[in-house]
Amino acid sequence: MITLSINGVTAHVEKGTTLLEAATFFGFPIPTLCHMDGLSDYGACRLCVVEIGQQGKSRLVSACTYPAEEGLIVRTSSARVVHARRMILELLLASCPQSKTVQDLAAAHDVSQQRFRQEYEDCILCGRCVRICAEQMMAKAIGFRGRGENRSVGTPFDLKSDACRLCGACMRVCPACELRCTYAEPEKAICGGCANLQPPCIDLNEFEDMMCYMSPCVACEIVRREGEFTAKETKDVVV
Amino acid sequence: MPRLSSLAELQLLRRRIRDSVSKSKPRITVCAGTACQASGANDVQRIVKRHLLEHDLVDRIGLRITGCHGFCEMGPFVVTEPGGMFYPKIGIHDVPAIVSAALSGEPAEYLLYRDSVTGTVCKCMDEIPFFSKQQRTLLSRNQRLDPIRLFDYLADGGYEALAKVLSGFAPEAIIDEIRRSGLRGRGGAGFHTSEKWDMARRQAGDVKYVVCNADEGDPGAYMDRSILEGNPHSVIEGMIIGGIAIGATEGFVFVRHEYPLAIKHVLIALRLAREFGLLGMDILGTGIDFDISIVKSAGAFVCGEETALIRTIEGMVGEPRQRPPFPTERGVNGKPTCINNVETWANVPIVIAQGGDAYAHVGTETSKGTKVFSVVGKVKHTGLVEVPMGTTIKEIVYEIGGGPQDGGKIKAVQIGGPSGGCIPHRRFDLPIDYDSLSQAGAIMGSGGMIVMDQGTCMVDVAKYFMSFLKDESCGKCFTCRKGTQRMWELLDDITEGKGTLAHLDLLETLGKTVAETSMCGLGQSAANPVLSTLRYFRAEYERHIIDLRCDAFVCENLTGAPCQAACPVGTEAWRYAALIARGEYDAAYRVIREANTFPSVCARVCDHRCEQHCRLLTTGHDPLALRALKRFVTDRSDPAAYKPERRDDPVAASMRVAVVGSGPAGLTAAHNLSLRGYKTTVFEADDQPGGLLTSGIPTFRLPREVVQKEIDALIDENITLLCSITLGSDFTVDDLFRDGFDAVFLAVGAHESWRMDIPGEDMAGVYPSMEFLKAWNLRGESLAVGNVGVIGGGNSALDAARVALRQKDVTGVTIFYRRTRQEMPAFEEEIQGALEEGIKLETLATPIELHGENGHITAGEFVVNELGDVDGSGRRRPVKKLGSEYKVPLDTLIVAISEAASEIGAAHSTGLEMRDGTITVDKRTLSTGRPGVFAGGDVVTGPNTVIDAIAAGKRAAQVIDLYLRERDVAVPAEPILPRVYVEPAVSEPAHDVPATRASMPTLPTEQRHKSFIEIEGTFSEEAATREASRCLRCDLEFTRPPQARPSLARSRGGDA
Repeated sequence: MITLSINGVTAHVEKGTTLLEAATFFGFPIPTLCHMDGLSDYGACRLCVVEIGQQGKSRLVSACTYPAEEGLIVRTSSARVVHARRMILELLLASCPQSKTVQDLAAAHDVSQQRFRQEYEDCILCGRCVRICAEQMMAKAIGFRGRGENRSVGTPFDLKSDACRLCGACMRVCPACELRCTYAEPEKAICGGCANLQPPCIDLNEFEDMMCYMSPCVACEIVRREGEFTAKETKDVVV
Repeated sequence: MPRLSSLAELQLLRRRIRDSVSKSKPRITVCAGTACQASGANDVQRIVKRHLLEHDLVDRIGLRITGCHGFCEMGPFVVTEPGGMFYPKIGIHDVPAIVSAALSGEPAEYLLYRDSVTGTVCKCMDEIPFFSKQQRTLLSRNQRLDPIRLFDYLADGGYEALAKVLSGFAPEAIIDEIRRSGLRGRGGAGFHTSEKWDMARRQAGDVKYVVCNADEGDPGAYMDRSILEGNPHSVIEGMIIGGIAIGATEGFVFVRHEYPLAIKHVLIALRLAREFGLLGMDILGTGIDFDISIVKSAGAFVCGEETALIRTIEGMVGEPRQRPPFPTERGVNGKPTCINNVETWANVPIVIAQGGDAYAHVGTETSKGTKVFSVVGKVKHTGLVEVPMGTTIKEIVYEIGGGPQDGGKIKAVQIGGPSGGCIPHRRFDLPIDYDSLSQAGAIMGSGGMIVMDQGTCMVDVAKYFMSFLKDESCGKCFTCRKGTQRMWELLDDITEGKGTLAHLDLLETLGKTVAETSMCGLGQSAANPVLSTLRYFRAEYERHIIDLRCDAFVCENLTGAPCQAACPVGTEAWRYAALIARGEYDAAYRVIREANTFPSVCARVCDHRCEQHCRLLTTGHDPLALRALKRFVTDRSDPAAYKPERRDDPVAASMRVAVVGSGPAGLTAAHNLSLRGYKTTVFEADDQPGGLLTSGIPTFRLPREVVQKEIDALIDENITLLCSITLGSDFTVDDLFRDGFDAVFLAVGAHESWRMDIPGEDMAGVYPSMEFLKAWNLRGESLAVGNVGVIGGGNSALDAARVALRQKDVTGVTIFYRRTRQEMPAFEEEIQGALEEGIKLETLATPIELHGENGHITAGEFVVNELGDVDGSGRRRPVKKLGSEYKVPLDTLIVAISEAASEIGAAHSTGLEMRDGTITVDKRTLSTGRPGVFAGGDVVTGPNTVIDAIAAGKRAAQVIDLYLRERDVAVPAEPILPRVYVEPAVSEPAHDVPATRASMPTLPTEQRHKSFIEIEGTFSEEAATREASRCLRCDLEFTRPPQARPSLARSRGGDA
């Protein structure tokens, strides 16, 4: 067991516990976008930064990747942490203003305006989709390409991946595209209407271990109702 | 050669190699590092070989091809032994002379290195300041050995440290030796090498790795490459020792694939080491296994970060991960891994061979040993420099680097690459060690050192590094990826003229957040270039934002055409040049006169900053002769061609403005106020108007009738001119307001010469330069007789000297200046003219006492100066040499060291603040402390140029107009960009633009004797047209209408 101090509370945790897990367990919630239970920790969104160490020699680290250390002093919402978090949220608002998740987080931290050139991106590159695809779906169909400002998520060479089973898990876990996937008018939303033109259930017969995370999803019903969609035809349409 | 199977065999081999090398045989060493190869070393090397073969000299002279010696500026170069004679920048035709010189032992003098400052010939490498001021522990080995020959390395004591380790050092003892040496990581962070090794050693498990990090990606840094190319065995030896110390059996050299020569040399060295049993299984029969392989990185900057490097070795995407766990616990394949920089590994054999204690003698308390820096940028001698830790930046830049390139002024160095920061000139006394650098906001980094001068824009530098980092950030951390991009955007706004002061605060806050919240070293230091330039050069940022000017003429949208941006009054120089090329001379005159109230005067005496910033200079050509072109136009055009726009304004007509001083500033202000409808009275202390134009500048540079004509044209019915009335003795500023003036502009100039404060200064025959020039110019009195001395190096000194030479009782004139000729502030053409006329110039001389008889000067006593330390102005300070005093017989001495405003004027008016003989004003609005009183010209700036005075006058008229209309005098700035399209005279730009400018006709020297006839003439029409068409037309970028732009297809076709 490791003993550390979180916001003044003495905490005993197992070796290998991250600061995020420890803090959450002891009742100090930390906002995060890229962390997800069941996936490995990546440390991409930096929202979960906490301050560690003695006053004067302290520094900020991402709670999701930093392991609990014996005697560590952790502050999850010191002025420095809040200041950094607000700047990160301002950067998120500047890039991804239409994401409801980002909007809610910004509002919760009293960030109501941003001072940069406004962008409208769909992706914050948190990597949840990449990780669920590799770690839970065992597909490794998508990954990161490029670096710096050219980094993006996609399949190799932007071709349809043979490894992709179109399970939709990538979209299910996306923290940024919540609004996009339900569409602006929910009653008109068709599963994957905006992104997934080929819902997995269409290929129902090809996969034995089908896992569908689409919700709400009406694709299966469409297939059953109209009957004329076959896997082969759909493929042709897309390619 | 059989594999060496014991330590004894290694020593035997070494002895045999050493015995076989003849000490007396001459040898030629050709540097073939990448830089020298680029400048032609391969040709030199081939020709040397051919020459030796053709002349059958192979047995009599040796040839050695080595890696980089460091003096890359001088490539290609060769060094001959014995004697270490250094022949820089040679061509293939120089080879026979060098070979015969090496054989005879006498140097080929004309090819030897000449010191750039003193001009003295340096016979051998040790005499060259670049080499003699360094301590070349690592780099000197490069010049002693051929990197692809193991025997050279063995002869130079190579693998001796390994032998020492194998002959009975326990791993703990190796680490202890390193600990005592105080060696710290040379990759930048400065972690103690011994601690890292110790941590790796104490990890459990029998699979461990050592890694040599040669992923050198900083722009401008190449020391790791040079070591790998020039001495790969030293790195291999270091890695073997490190491997033994931590218990590793495998090593990797992680090197960029952009370093082909380094990769080749390392591969050869690895193969040779394996063949000789120095690497691989059972090293030298000791039973120790250790092997090294190469990993080529594809060149992502982030892969130099150790956790990203590990992932790359494992075959994954180069992305850093969280530390802890540190690589010493979990590195390559999850095994303990010890990663060090190339230079650290190369230092290891030296530490072991010398012993840790001996090594620790060099350097500072906390940083030991030497460090290699790559000194690049605006410095005379670029190259690799190795100095002990604790050497100051000043020593590296000025003593080893040779100071600024041609007349530049160094303002900062950028240390540590994109992660480092800028250190300003005023902090150049900073000793270079890990701790002082990080306190100053930079980092040691791998050792890149980019020197910057006044032609470097610090905002642009920060923007460049951000552009680099936003591409090279791996993109994993949101703050690093977006933060660098956002910082680049903010900087881009500023360089485009769209910045606000809020941008600076946001930059600072964002920079700090990026540094705090990023995972790896790249992100944590990414803000350094921005934060350090903001810390030291905030004024430069503010200049971009408030004044919309880039003083380095780099930021395109704040510069436009540099000739126009450089002109204090914003003359569209490109436009009149273009109009001259089209033959439209009256239109050209209007362009000049529109901006400048004294066109003919400036055509003769302007310091032409337009030419100094001409873009032709960047291509190695002479700048466009803009002043001569202006002269051409003003000489031939009728001033009546220009009709100024007048404002008819009853409100203004009821206001009265007093202008004190009728020099260029005063008259310009009066004229421009008159155009705006104000009634203006000009007060002049002398008996004629013109200020320094008539009283200071001699007629052979500026004929009186030219000045008179221009003044007459400016004075109209709105202006009353009162002469012989002096501020202070005849009236005060209070009087002016009492008399009903609504505003006052003070432009009284600077007429009080500074004193030298030496004994004998008050004797007869000693004159301040202003008094001397006024006596001649206004009253025709010749004050100078016999042997004349002039003290000073400015324009006023040169004018006085040239006037004195022309006076009838003068036999000779000598100018004494305390610094060197390059540092004289006077215009180059004036110095040149003075020397042509026979004036002697004695530099590095300071007067210390004046001797005389009967109260009249007979001689001056001078002391010789040496150039000392660099002072705040970036020039080397003259230091008096003891015992070097000498006397010069003199009948007249003219003192022209500088001038200040007269105290009398200002002291009588309340609310004016004076400092160092000038009136303090707000630079942008020219307002003094007293409402309604404005000041400009020399009385504010101290002795300055005519064009700056005219600019002050223009500004004053604008500001006074606003003040009298009760508006805010602080008007927002506008960028000076070309706005009018002038169609080029020829549609396609000529490709064969002459590199040299047309020279102005001048009066032959013999006709100048005792004559005050104007020296400069004017261009012929043909010369003017030809000169004008040399213009590169920077304005077209901004003014060309879309239909006049050459289509892409056509311009491509033209190139083909």
